[in-house]
Amino acid sequence: MRVRDFYSNLHVDKSLTVKYDFNPYYCDIKSGLTDPLIVEGNEFINLASNNYLGLATDERVKEAIASAAHKYGSSMCGTPIATGSITTLKKLEIRLAKFVGVDDAIIFPSCFQANSALFLSLVKPDDLVVIDHYAHASLVQGVRLAGCKIKPFLHNNPEHLKKLLEKTSGYHQVFVVTESVFSTEGSIAPFDDIVKLCTEFDAIPVIDDSHGIGVLGKEGHGIMEDKNIKNFNGIYTASLGKALANVGGFVGGNKSLIEFLRYSCPGLIYSTALPPPIIAGIDKVLDILEQDFTAIGARMWEYKRLIYGCLANNGFILTPSQAPITSILVTDLDACARMAKLIHNNHILATPFVPPSVPPNENKIRLIAGANLSQETILKALEIFGRIAKELGLK
Amino acid sequence: MTTEEKVIKIIKANLEKKAVIKIDTDLRKDLGLDSFAMLMIVNALEDEYGISIDDQHYQKITTVADIVKSLKSHCPNLKES
Repeated sequence: MRVRDFYSNLHVDKSLTVKYDFNPYYCDIKSGLTDPLIVEGNEFINLASNNYLGLATDERVKEAIASAAHKYGSSMCGTPIATGSITTLKKLEIRLAKFVGVDDAIIFPSCFQANSALFLSLVKPDDLVVIDHYAHASLVQGVRLAGCKIKPFLHNNPEHLKKLLEKTSGYHQVFVVTESVFSTEGSIAPFDDIVKLCTEFDAIPVIDDSHGIGVLGKEGHGIMEDKNIKNFNGIYTASLGKALANVGGFVGGNKSLIEFLRYSCPGLIYSTALPPPIIAGIDKVLDILEQDFTAIGARMWEYKRLIYGCLANNGFILTPSQAPITSILVTDLDACARMAKLIHNNHILATPFVPPSVPPNENKIRLIAGANLSQETILKALEIFGRIAKELGLK
Repeated sequence: MTTEEKVIKIIKANLEKKAVIKIDTDLRKDLGLDSFAMLMIVNALEDEYGISIDDQHYQKITTVADIVKSLKSHCPNLKES
């Protein structure tokens, strides 16, 4: 009886997908992130992945991965504390730390895992975490698991944050947690102001730069470069699976923090290390960034400007995005499902966000154009969005 | 200021967007508040009234009136200014 109840309680509400005969999630993609993308046997324009710089299918990256696979095999089949600590992993950790502007770093199998595991190791029940209202699920989960007091602050609002930091007596340690780029909004945190507040109120800043690394800054080094933050005395995390076009995540900070986590973070030391081919792939992406970021980054921002401008001119309601992300805001859930289906039927792959990923009545359809897409593909996408706007009666 | 007015003022100060709020406003359905938005309001009430509201309690709160009722039960000597 208990087993039967257990399985019968595992219910997924698919009423919306049934109503519109459309499920945008777990699409059957038959190709890599090519232009065009092959979805369910059809050619699609890929505006859904986080492949900002378009390097996931870059020949140089593929060759580096293949070469490392030939040399080292598929995996070290061990945690970093055991056999996973290959020389190339150690070198990459040092390189990533230098790249983003921190002293040292450790690499996790995913940034979700890094964010979740981090707080369990560092935050205690008598601590306070002040966290941006729209922080990513991985940060929220990590903070909740730590069992500390949680105080959300209004999104990207340093004035509200300051008010909360003025009332922190009685807590042992205080952490301020945010992201650089909020991926469903495209908004960018005023992290320089947040760091100043942390200094003023003796709090530890924690920043997830997953959508900022390889994107923000003149050389693509992320939020520290973009906001000109030097001698950062906080905790930095980022994904290696977005602009850096591979998989994994890392935590950066001062040497004592990283040394502590190396020996006391269960999410790291009980998890199989990143495999050598992926390490080589990330290393090659960093080589490319050092050589070509100016040109690749310019193309990424130009595509964002074109798509954002086209949609705004065609009557779509957009979030005021500052990142190479265009987010269509659709308050009504049914209208969001209809629009998402129409976009999909026109062979554009986009990402719809509905609650609980976003607050109720703030449904979004996110578009990210990778720098690997051709100018012709972008122009075709603009033409399609013009037609969709007419069909929806937006213009 | 009545407790009702004070609670509405606190809620407004902890919203991402401006909203019209009345005593029977449903915080989740009418204002679309998610769990963190609710937590922001609860934290502000705790700070304002020097009380502690546990998670299970605030999960049951639906309307502004529920908050006022809850506050009055937490603080029987609540004075209105």
